[in-house]
Amino acid sequence: MPKPKFRLAMTAAAAAALMTGAGWAQDKPARLDLGVFTFLSGPSAAYGLPGKQGAELMIERINAQGGIGGVPVSATYVDEAQGAEGVIAEYRRLAEGGRAQAMIAALSSGNCLALSPLADQLKMPTIGWNCDTHQLFLKDQPDYFYRPNGNTIAEFMAYTLYFLQQHPEVKRVAIINPDYAFGHDAAEIVKATLKAVRPEVEIVAELYPKLGASTYQTEISRLSAARPDVVFSNLWGGDLENFVRQAGPRGLFRQSAVVLALGETVMQRVDLPEGTIVGVLGDGWWMSPDARTIGEAEPFAAAYREKYGSDPVFPTIKMANSLIVLKAAYEKAISDNDGAWPDREQVVAALEGLSVQTLTGTTTFRDDNDGVVDQVIGTVGRAEGVDRPVMTGMVRYDGEALLAPVGQDPIAWIGTLTPDFLADLPRPGSYN
Amino acid sequence: MRKPIPLLVAALALLLLVPVAFPHLKFVITLAVAKGFAALGVALLLRGGLISLGHAMYFAIGAYATAFLGSKAGVSDLVLLLVASTAVAALAGLVFGAFLVRYRAIFFAMLNLAVSMVIFALTSKLYGITGGTDGLRVAVPTVLGWAPGKAAFDGFLFYLCILLMVVLGWLVHRYLQSPLGHALSAIHTNEVRLEYLGVSAWQTLLTSYTISAALAGLGGALAAMSIGHVLPEFAFWTESGHLVLTAVLGGIGGVAGAFIGSVFLEILHTVAVGVAAEAWNLIIGLALICVIFFLPRGIYGLIEARRGSTKETGL
Repeated sequence: MPKPKFRLAMTAAAAAALMTGAGWAQDKPARLDLGVFTFLSGPSAAYGLPGKQGAELMIERINAQGGIGGVPVSATYVDEAQGAEGVIAEYRRLAEGGRAQAMIAALSSGNCLALSPLADQLKMPTIGWNCDTHQLFLKDQPDYFYRPNGNTIAEFMAYTLYFLQQHPEVKRVAIINPDYAFGHDAAEIVKATLKAVRPEVEIVAELYPKLGASTYQTEISRLSAARPDVVFSNLWGGDLENFVRQAGPRGLFRQSAVVLALGETVMQRVDLPEGTIVGVLGDGWWMSPDARTIGEAEPFAAAYREKYGSDPVFPTIKMANSLIVLKAAYEKAISDNDGAWPDREQVVAALEGLSVQTLTGTTTFRDDNDGVVDQVIGTVGRAEGVDRPVMTGMVRYDGEALLAPVGQDPIAWIGTLTPDFLADLPRPGSYN
Repeated sequence: MRKPIPLLVAALALLLLVPVAFPHLKFVITLAVAKGFAALGVALLLRGGLISLGHAMYFAIGAYATAFLGSKAGVSDLVLLLVASTAVAALAGLVFGAFLVRYRAIFFAMLNLAVSMVIFALTSKLYGITGGTDGLRVAVPTVLGWAPGKAAFDGFLFYLCILLMVVLGWLVHRYLQSPLGHALSAIHTNEVRLEYLGVSAWQTLLTSYTISAALAGLGGALAAMSIGHVLPEFAFWTESGHLVLTAVLGGIGGVAGAFIGSVFLEILHTVAVGVAAEAWNLIIGLALICVIFFLPRGIYGLIEARRGSTKETGL
């Protein structure tokens, strides 16, 4: 039992707190706490950790410039490898315990699907930093969940269009994707795009190796036997490294043009043969001409190299861009609120239709909370003055053109495209 | 026989205070109780000397039944959903159990594992029906005509879980005290003698297997409503292993053990993740080693030890 005097003091303090609370409802907090969700353990950490490092560095840089509206930012990192239940429990703990005012979540699409209704229930502004399934905003229209990096439709359409432009003679296409929703969604989009703009192309193999498989020899044999002109893959992380290491010696890269949708993430770790088509699932290539014009990506990359000993990869940039979007939303909400610190509803109101310049381009939120970003794709090659492989022969597709209008079934929308669609697009190599 | 009832009542009272004292733990405890039902199912079979390495499948069947009934069949009433999902899981238990309970020891464990991985593969590969690894969403159900918001429903579900835990815990306790329950323990001690007494081991086990599947299914349905999303990982073998661990850790001496183990593990998980985002696996592992090393009869063994008796345990 506290002593009477102490109790009196406590009561007074509580009353004072209540009164200030009533007087200036939105007093500036001492700091802005964020919950940041990514994979920190297990195989997916190969992709999740560069994201976390991106958040650490970006928050450091934001704070060095005075934080958001003068308030320093701090983050609690949550490991998505604990499964959806654990992720939800942590999200709730951070939200309901008052330990976070906004969330950057999540990497996995399954987790985003589980979290988006929760964001609305808990009225928690949430930025989906990486999950890109086009299912996310298809049925539900959450008010508090925003995704600045667009979705799978634009991403995988862009790859298909790029390889069709670069290899116009292509007749046979093979697909090798991981066996879960991400791999199957991508295959469906690639096939739908081919059917619409180049109906004569034949899918000669469609392989779905298990996520986390250690050997791909069987798949590589089948790919070799199918003699595809183009091999499309959205394998990622350790899986992609294994696949590249095993497919290289067996001549797959000489036999076919290979499209590795997440190839940029492993470019520093394995030898991707020149001519391999890679991209960044959006515009997050830190050496792109737009990024150079904006001028912030290069110092960011230099600081990243200094801190972590390697170049940033696109998950890093996606994370950094998500933080920039959140910062912009807060700043807009503060100015809309006549300089006073905004509440969560005001932050979400500021996100509505927001257009933000990121490290690598611009993202603009549509009515369905999906951010429209351009799609940058290129081929692995050499550039003067750079001692490691980079993206060359790049193209930058307008993001808007590759997305179904809000409310339309995206796969059905792809079906309405015609071969002319391809002719109107910028050519590979036009973006240098 | 003296029972550790005062201790359990005290623990229950503490649990009831959770939403008041730690609002964010409400979800964790709801989930812990839901998983506790599945662990209780595993503990039941452990009484008969059988380890099931596949019980997460019934948890998943219950969860997916709730998701399907809600989204495809348009059932939105909580009571109906719980009863129907439990029935579906029990039916699945009856069908699979009919051949699984013919096996013992490692064969029983591995066959359960095999069937559960088939269920896992189906939920993750039947992309068009189950949503694959993206899973299915579960809407907030209505309660006998009352349509609460998600926050009100979460509060309601918490207390419903506690109520179900007490009522069903007591029923399972009564079952274990019944001739059928004693026959189950007898399978562990001497199955041949049981058969000579004229009791069918197959029937005894099938009954218990079906009950355990129903319990796991109910847990799955509750978890699905609480989480609001179902995923194939519910049926993955690591989840089944988690259930066995929960049952053993809590102690199979009494019905309460499974729930004690489950609440302990969930809270340990929450604390570990909160303390060290990158080393939570390590903290949980060390804590488990400590419990197994120092409490060989599980956490429930602590309560039993206080009674200072070696009698066969009841509650």
